[in-house]
Amino acid sequence: MSLVLRTRALEKRFGPLVALHPLDLELAAGSALAVLGPNGAGKSTLLRLFAGLARPSAGSIEIHPEGGSRSFRRRSVGLVGHASFLTPTLTTRENLVLAARLFGVEAPGEAAARALAAEELLPVAERRAGALSRGLAQRAAIARALLHDPKLVLLDEPWTGLDARAAARLSQRLAAEKGAGRALVIVTHDLGRVVGLAERALLLVRGRAAWLEAAAVRDTATLEAAASAAVARMESAR
Amino acid sequence: MNALLAVLWKDLVSEWRSRDRLVAMGVFALLVVVVLYLAAPPGAGPEARAHVPGLLWVAYLFAGVLGLNRAFATELENEALSLLALAPVERGFIFLGKALASFALLLVVEAATAVAFALAFDLDLWPVAGRLALVAALGAAGLCSLGTLFSAIAVRTQYREVMLPLLLLPLLVPVLLGAVRATNALLLEGTLPWPALQLLLVTDGVFGIVSFLTFEVVLDE
Repeated sequence: MSLVLRTRALEKRFGPLVALHPLDLELAAGSALAVLGPNGAGKSTLLRLFAGLARPSAGSIEIHPEGGSRSFRRRSVGLVGHASFLTPTLTTRENLVLAARLFGVEAPGEAAARALAAEELLPVAERRAGALSRGLAQRAAIARALLHDPKLVLLDEPWTGLDARAAARLSQRLAAEKGAGRALVIVTHDLGRVVGLAERALLLVRGRAAWLEAAAVRDTATLEAAASAAVARMESAR
Repeated sequence: MNALLAVLWKDLVSEWRSRDRLVAMGVFALLVVVVLYLAAPPGAGPEARAHVPGLLWVAYLFAGVLGLNRAFATELENEALSLLALAPVERGFIFLGKALASFALLLVVEAATAVAFALAFDLDLWPVAGRLALVAALGAAGLCSLGTLFSAIAVRTQYREVMLPLLLLPLLVPVLLGAVRATNALLLEGTLPWPALQLLLVTDGVFGIVSFLTFEVVLDE
């Protein structure tokens, strides 16, 4: 599979605070990486760096093919963040049309309709985003992030606020998106969700990264044990 | 260009539904007229009317700053600003979309305020209406272009309500100078002095180009 994302000695500092220590990482098309770690570990910062919402303090991020323009890089990335990025006064449909227009998607109205249907949001299409429940807003955010057919999908706690059915459907959808050749980076505390979806897991503790063995992501108990042991090891090494 | 229209559409539709900026700006500007009317009623004579151009721009300026303060504040909810930052478009077009929306709102408030001033101070604005609209539009363009840039900066600071006027007002002196002089000559003598118009055109051009080019730095992190 072709490479989608590569970082070299990627580092982020906020003044004297090192939010992310130098990190080398490669991600191929059709693969998924789970990013785990306690609160404040730097997981969201890592996603913001990949999305281009934050600038690296040192090192580099390449979205392949290399040499693409900045706008090509931005078009290649879809981000589901902590917040939905929806404008509260616009309807769900209008928010998706806006995103489609901003991302240069052809026939924005039709693309928005397809995205609404894919997330089963048609019943709330004309409801203002400010009136959506947390779960519905999260589904609208997922629809918005995938609307422009990105090669790299970044997801920050994507199952938050979803009911059991919607969460299961999201897991299926992410597996399908991966199967279709997209690369996924999933930040989560819900380790069970990434088992069977991600091939690798990266653990972040206070900005320092450690790779968990590939075998660890095969079942939830092993992953939890491996993550806990690694966190304890990294904390004691400080 | 598509991004410009998308952002403009978003801001105008949002404003049409909430009307929070327009109402705040309009009420403030009309309050200025009412206060000045009470302080110097029409019977006060031509001396009072001589101050109208300056007072008109006091109302325009502070109503404009009030609206600009909200231009990006609305983007903070749900972090909607991040969607604009993620978009694969020239940042300058996002700036233009936001600035044009603020400009359109300010024009509406300026028109309503001018009518209120005319009624309160018994002024016949009709013979100079076209030229007054031109001066008001040029002043609003300068205010909104630089104001949009600084609003995007101020919105990420802790004291954003205070920060915007602090950053913006000192730099708006040339716009105000040109606008007040032009309005003064127009209302008192019925002429439009070219130097004042020239000052407005040059400052609008400089502010517009600088804001267009630097918006990327402001929007990204």
